[in-house]
Amino acid sequence: MIHPKDSVPLHAAVRRVSGRRRLVSSLIAALFVTTGLGTVADADPSGDTPSALKKLSLEELFTLEITSVAKKSESVSETAVAIRVVTQDDLRRMGTLSIPEALRFIPGVEVARVDSRQYAITARGFNGTIANKLLVLIDGRSVYTPLFSGVFWDAQDTFLEDVEQIEVIRGPGGTVWGTNAVNGVINVISKPAASTQGLLLTGGGGNVERGFGGIRYGGKLGPRAHFRVYGKYFNRGPSLRPNGDDAGDDFQMPQGGFRADWEPSAANAITIQGDLYAGTVEQPTSDDTEFAGGNVLARWTRKLSAASDIQVSAYYDRTKRTIPSTFEERLDTYDIGLRHRVALGSRHDVVWGLGYRQFFDDIRNSPMLAFLPEELQRREYSGFVQDEVALVPERLRWTLGAKFEHNDYTGMEYQPSTRLAWTPTTRHTVWAAASRAVRTPSRIDRDLYSPASGPPYLLAGGPNFESEVLHAIELGIKARPSDRLTASISTFYNKYDELRSLEIGTFPLLLANGLEGDAYGAEVNVNYQARSWWRLDSGYTIQNLELEVEPGSSDTSQVKQEGDSPRHQWYLRSSMSLPHALAFDIGVRSVGELPNQDVPAYVAWDGSLGWQPSGTVELAVVGRDLFDRQHPEFGTPASRREIGRSFYGKVTCRF
Amino acid sequence: MPLLTRTLVNLRVRLWGRLVLTSMLAILVLSPAPAGSESTSPGRTHEYNLKAVFLFQFAHFVTWPAGSFRDENTPITIGVLGEDPFGGALDEVVAGEVVGARRLDVRRYQLVDQVGACHILFISASEAGRLPAVLAGLKGRNVLTVGDTKDFATRGGIVGFAVDRKRLKLRVNLAAADSAQLTISSKLLRQAEVVRKGAKR
Repeated sequence: MIHPKDSVPLHAAVRRVSGRRRLVSSLIAALFVTTGLGTVADADPSGDTPSALKKLSLEELFTLEITSVAKKSESVSETAVAIRVVTQDDLRRMGTLSIPEALRFIPGVEVARVDSRQYAITARGFNGTIANKLLVLIDGRSVYTPLFSGVFWDAQDTFLEDVEQIEVIRGPGGTVWGTNAVNGVINVISKPAASTQGLLLTGGGGNVERGFGGIRYGGKLGPRAHFRVYGKYFNRGPSLRPNGDDAGDDFQMPQGGFRADWEPSAANAITIQGDLYAGTVEQPTSDDTEFAGGNVLARWTRKLSAASDIQVSAYYDRTKRTIPSTFEERLDTYDIGLRHRVALGSRHDVVWGLGYRQFFDDIRNSPMLAFLPEELQRREYSGFVQDEVALVPERLRWTLGAKFEHNDYTGMEYQPSTRLAWTPTTRHTVWAAASRAVRTPSRIDRDLYSPASGPPYLLAGGPNFESEVLHAIELGIKARPSDRLTASISTFYNKYDELRSLEIGTFPLLLANGLEGDAYGAEVNVNYQARSWWRLDSGYTIQNLELEVEPGSSDTSQVKQEGDSPRHQWYLRSSMSLPHALAFDIGVRSVGELPNQDVPAYVAWDGSLGWQPSGTVELAVVGRDLFDRQHPEFGTPASRREIGRSFYGKVTCRF
Repeated sequence: MPLLTRTLVNLRVRLWGRLVLTSMLAILVLSPAPAGSESTSPGRTHEYNLKAVFLFQFAHFVTWPAGSFRDENTPITIGVLGEDPFGGALDEVVAGEVVGARRLDVRRYQLVDQVGACHILFISASEAGRLPAVLAGLKGRNVLTVGDTKDFATRGGIVGFAVDRKRLKLRVNLAAADSAQLTISSKLLRQAEVVRKGAKR
């Protein structure tokens, strides 16, 4: 949504982002897994702490030489990782209504809308509705499903006005995040309750987004304790059949949640938060698909000293899904994690952690397809350690780390990585990384049988399915040639082994690790502040994935998924803050064809116009796919749905 | 190292690859190297830690009219409007502090309309675009407005932070302080540059 805040030149936004990036750089983003918050103070070993400064006289204060955060943050990101951040301002300006739609304008990320509720989202290839190489976290809670190592995007929503930012990291993140962070990690981070005080009402509707609304109230529980509660609802119209007919998959979902933050002392911060949701999707020929769930998360951060902090977090998540006459699942996940960061000497910044996760999966199968056993309990435990060494202070940083994770399928897995960041000037960073990451087996790899009445089976799971393995090399440059221009290029070479194959040379058919492949690509991002009121953002992605059937494998189908991702993608976004509190954004994106599915290349135009007549009211009109009546984004011609042009209006009031 | 060797051998540098490499080199080579002045050395102070301490200090050097506190125990409220650049520094600075009999309290606001009983208000850079509206919304209130955006004090704010040769400077708009019925101690004013609204520097 639009906000006059946007009229502030990016510096403000850039400053926030980059401040965070520096934090990320110091920990390779480890913190965000569990914190999701800036509660860990910006421990700056080179500067005086606020408490120490307080003791100085007024005269002394004026003599101190300062490091300017502004300067630092305006300098280029020094992180040795391909990261892009979607800020709250971006969400407002784009009029974004869902998490998947917020990921459209990010180099290296593929977002394909499948129908009214499903998305295929990945980074650096292997896209699909059950894409399995991207890890997604919402405030530190993993939303990936052990059913297929992917994400049910329809069930992942949040109160977007309370989102601080969405961080998107391309490339393997297994060293810190663990298995399944193979090709990338997405962190949705919500604001602390203290930043969302007061009443917020929002609502609107249009031709596809028929109606949506939300209410949030934030208040104080005490001098150092804040809370918020929210509720939201949307009713989304159906997707379209290729002939333009309504596909009958109307989707609606109410959701509610809360968050409370308490800082009993300057060194301690406690957060408790949770959500509840229940979605319903109509189906033209059967009963509604339904899913519902909830979660509660607690997190305690304690600052032990300026150079050390510790965090403990735990969550419980339940999710249920019923697809009539196909599948029914109830999944309970318990997770607990510990993370400790400590600066050793002036050169070493060490972060280590331990984690334990347990899930109970209970499935009701259909005659055709079955997960066996129906009830399953799984445990994972892990530990990681990472050291960031300042080889040359402010110039050359080396990060080395590894995660060891034990799962019930394949036993111990290791995921090391090493990263080097060279910052020859404050305007340039050159970085390189080498990593190993794995995708451990999920239920779909091991437990999928057909028909359920067997034996005999036609498909008999993957009894010997092992982890998929990635070895990746990345190389990137981030530069700020002038104060108005930032650019980054990230390149990668990924070598995959043990990828999933469907063995058809046996009876019954089996899932195995019969594929290997390699992928390479580059992502370019250029951001230009043309005027104080006008910003341009552009991105270009090229990638190539080639899969091969390993000797001995009889796969003929999975090998084709190299054609499930576009070879080229680009976008251009213009954000203008105009007089009379108007904001005007327009974005165009081009997505190449998906040869494996005969999805043609498309170009989509999005636009939004916002107006804030007073401090309390914001109005916006948003159009998606402005010049295109409808187009497909994913799926084979026989079964796919298409996405129609949409418009909606939105009103937001803050009191 | 067989993996590395194999990987490097496999790395196919095609036309686009060369393009990418060339453009990477171009960015590296063509962009001007900045003067070495930005290199940081240990012993410097984090800008917003220092500003947080100043906000706290202002509580000692500013006198509010009696009516702006309910009673002698009413805390002095330091507010942050917009995006909070302090991290936890402001909370850390005021924790456990008293000025006279008054505790200090930190609040954060997203909108000027939410600013209730507030004595010192830091107006974040995120609000720069609507500073006139923000200041208009505070008109007649006994609030010490503080900011670090360009020309904050000459645009009608009371205390502006500026950085000059890596040292923090204060610019104070006395007329604005007067209209807010605030008295700023001469001890603070001695260290500050006094500016007028609309003044061009």
